[in-house]
Amino acid sequence: MTWTCVQIEERLSDYLDGLLTAAEQREFRAHVDACPQCAPLLAQVAHVIGRLRTLEPEPAPAALVSKILDQTLGPRKNKRDWFSWLPMLWQPRFAMGTVTVLATLLIIFQATGVRRSDITAANLNPVRIFHAADSHVHLAFARSVKFVNDLRVVYEIQSRLQPANNPAPNNAAPSSAPSQQKSPNESQRDHSTNGSFAFVATLIPDAPTRSPR
Amino acid sequence: MEPDAQLVQRCLRGEGPAWEELVRRHSRRVYNICYRFTGNPAEAEDLSQEVFLRIYRTLASYRMAYGGFPTWLTSVTRNLLIDHYRRTRHDRVTDSLEDVMPKVEEKHSPVRTPDKAALASELSAQVQFALSRLSPDLREAVILRDLQGLEYNEIQEVLSVPEGTVKSRINRGRIELARVLQEMGLRPE
Repeated sequence: MTWTCVQIEERLSDYLDGLLTAAEQREFRAHVDACPQCAPLLAQVAHVIGRLRTLEPEPAPAALVSKILDQTLGPRKNKRDWFSWLPMLWQPRFAMGTVTVLATLLIIFQATGVRRSDITAANLNPVRIFHAADSHVHLAFARSVKFVNDLRVVYEIQSRLQPANNPAPNNAAPSSAPSQQKSPNESQRDHSTNGSFAFVATLIPDAPTRSPR
Repeated sequence: MEPDAQLVQRCLRGEGPAWEELVRRHSRRVYNICYRFTGNPAEAEDLSQEVFLRIYRTLASYRMAYGGFPTWLTSVTRNLLIDHYRRTRHDRVTDSLEDVMPKVEEKHSPVRTPDKAALASELSAQVQFALSRLSPDLREAVILRDLQGLEYNEIQEVLSVPEGTVKSRINRGRIELARVLQEMGLRPE
């Protein structure tokens, strides 16, 4: 008996699942090998079944089991839930982060001269922290301004610009005493016309007065 | 590993951990059947919860004579899926094949060579789409046979239909699926 294409299609899965008898298998193969329609169909179905069986099951949503258990056994007060974040601490990235933060704090404390014995509970008062930070910022600013003003090049530029900035006294009294003969106090007063230097003087009581060079 | 039947007995005695073990053991399989049938992860999650809720309430009616616990579980899942399908079939919109059909990547694409995980994910999406084109009867038969690996007699128990019907549905489902996937570009090498 020769099988028809309809019979081949009906028994396709039986053939693929090995449910045909030996004689049926021979008939099946004889038709398929000679049929231009059935051969590609068999190949395609076999290929699809093969691909389906390689598919990994999809992972179930992480919360599925807990949701089912909550609905059936009731909400569970599991102590472990409170500490479920603990394993995170053992992750290398967390350890690296902690070490980096500690090293940064150490460097900051070293640079600012903070000693461990200096730290008391009172230091944590937000008002004190604010005042300390404020005075440190102003002091640092004042020191940097003073440093810049003390630079020789800056001083020389300021000296040369001085006549141009304040020409009136020189023009008004050309015969008066030269500026080199001014007292140190007068000299300081002259420089005090510069706003930033005045600001430094108020912040740093022991700032050395600059003598004309 | 403790057999399912023993776990069921312990559940019936009121042991919570035994139920938890049953849920952990079978939730992924139930979820996958639901996901492959509906094609929607959120729907599949909700349906999986419903399945276990139903199992929990009717656990006392489970008899060993009925078959293995997984078969019973699959049967409950299948019944719930069919109920769900009947309830929601009017809400579904049938899209045109060309609009939504995911295309198969060219095998030797010069632009990129996706890794195995990406290819598997792509195949999974294509299969999911092709399954959604099948009628529920054929779809469930193919899912149980080729994705869940159930034997013919187990499928017969789950579907409560004669063996001839099971075979016929599996066969027609496979051929339909193969044709849809062929249209999408999945062909033997």
